[in-house]
Amino acid sequence: MPFETLSARLQEVANRSMLYCRQRYGGNGMKLDQGIDTSILWRPTFYLRPSKFRIIAVEVEDNLYPNSLKGAAHEVSHYDFPISVYQACTLSAFQSDPKHKQVNLLKKHGFGIITVDEDGIVVIQHTCVPLAQHISPDLLDREIKPLTPQIKVAFRSAYDVYLANEGQGLQDAGQIVEGLVACLAAYAVKNNVIPAGALGGSLADRIDALYGTNKFKPHRAALGGTRDFIREFRNTASHPPTTAKQAAEKIRKCRKGFLDAVGCASKLRAVAKAVHCPIRIYVT
Amino acid sequence: MKTDKQPHGHLRDLSPDRIRRNPDNPRLFFRPEEMDALMASIRRYGIQVPITVYEDDSEYVLIDGERRWRCARKLNLVRIPALIQPKPSELDNLLLMFNIHALREQWDYLTIANKLPDVIRLFSDKNDGRQPNEQDLSDITGLTRGQIRRCRLLFDLPASYRKQLEDELSLPKRLQTLSEDFFIEMERALKTVQKRVPAAVTDVNSARDALIQKFRGGTIGNITDLRKLSKIATSISNVGVRESNATRAIKDILDPSKNVGIQDVYAQQFEMRYDERKVNLSIDSVYEYLDATIESEDPATLGGDLLQRLRRLRDLIDRVLGADDAF
Repeated sequence: MPFETLSARLQEVANRSMLYCRQRYGGNGMKLDQGIDTSILWRPTFYLRPSKFRIIAVEVEDNLYPNSLKGAAHEVSHYDFPISVYQACTLSAFQSDPKHKQVNLLKKHGFGIITVDEDGIVVIQHTCVPLAQHISPDLLDREIKPLTPQIKVAFRSAYDVYLANEGQGLQDAGQIVEGLVACLAAYAVKNNVIPAGALGGSLADRIDALYGTNKFKPHRAALGGTRDFIREFRNTASHPPTTAKQAAEKIRKCRKGFLDAVGCASKLRAVAKAVHCPIRIYVT
Repeated sequence: MKTDKQPHGHLRDLSPDRIRRNPDNPRLFFRPEEMDALMASIRRYGIQVPITVYEDDSEYVLIDGERRWRCARKLNLVRIPALIQPKPSELDNLLLMFNIHALREQWDYLTIANKLPDVIRLFSDKNDGRQPNEQDLSDITGLTRGQIRRCRLLFDLPASYRKQLEDELSLPKRLQTLSEDFFIEMERALKTVQKRVPAAVTDVNSARDALIQKFRGGTIGNITDLRKLSKIATSISNVGVRESNATRAIKDILDPSKNVGIQDVYAQQFEMRYDERKVNLSIDSVYEYLDATIESEDPATLGGDLLQRLRRLRDLIDRVLGADDAF
């Protein structure tokens, strides 16, 4: 009997949310009360595979953010298959969470929330991306803190894209870094630090040109780091995965790449400030 | 299998998927908060105490350890330690679980209440039709007689109210309003009211509904207020309240359209009478003691502290009676 260990009320929540997920994502690979892999110490109430490289797992529980999810988060995010995790609960449990403390924690830690009301209406209160892809808004805010308002806005926009498409989000973040390098290079040309011809080359050439000058000598670490990032993120974002393992690996790299982009931007911003270069970025 | 023997069996590691829950397990509710704590512990330290099962065909059936088994399944554990025992009889199976849980961790009363009739039936079958009395039930289940009485109050509830309680108990604690204690106290109070002031309750289910509604709405603020409802009912014989007054007060409390709580009615109309009775009883004790002292013809037997208190009491009485005379 499916969901036999759940109470009658939670069985209803499980059935309704399962039906909803089936309609929304299709029923491919639907498994009830079964583990995803022995390396993950958690057995979702049900899970399905809406696409070749994605699992959506749902934990039905009225106790918000149970230990089973907290404990499994690390294993899920390091598993070789992208997994998005939702907690499904009754609407009353969701609404009665004091100050939405547990609800906010679930969101912050990358979990989605599904509610089922007394009439059986299912609502996705919060969508989520695979746990390995998750960057919390708090973390983003902390990382972009040293940046200028203009760059912050650009990264927030890239973040929104990242949540829907990690590769494209990383591309957008990379373009912000490119914009900063281009701005520094244009400034260097204007001040006769590098020849005008350097602007015509590739991004790597522009970084190399800046790297070789005395004016930018104290900032070689930032420039070298940016050069590495650009080489790495181009590979990561542009290669489509052919296996689930590669998809999971790509997601993890995209996450790291996105945060690296913010880090590079912070360093480049510090360089611009040190050499009195006004920042104007043009992101296409 | 005899329950008075030492448990025996052999230990094996089993897949949780080969184990199924015992259909006779009376336990209905697995509190999510408690399960959560147990799960954290098992995740960290594993299952240290084997669960107990018996073999049935190609599967194993739980005797003891359903919470650990549930946690093991949730944690996707591949194997867990299990003590495999011979298949018990139906009564032994039930009594074994009663004893395990009554002594180790208290089940919900409703859980016990739901299974007690089975125990009574099986006991009766095994003992040539003899129905177990309260002491028998206490002996075989490991429960106290008080616990059995409380269970019976719940078992005597109409099915719809038992369902209401079941639904409530399956909620996480923070969402629960009604509890077993509420229903037990409510039933006790209503029994007293029906016995002492039958005119006040025309339909007991309507009375239950009214009390539940007022408790949910906060008009009845505390479960212990229900004891005051009993005191209102017994006030006619205990403190000489007029039956019509007590009936009217109870009717007001049991009227869902009136925003009248038990505490308000009790404090306004009955508390003082009960306080007076308490003081009367105390005065009677003092009379008795002083009479005995006078009869012994040795006032020196009174201690200094007591004499001082008696003098203070005399002064207070003079003041009160003086004021009363003046009034």
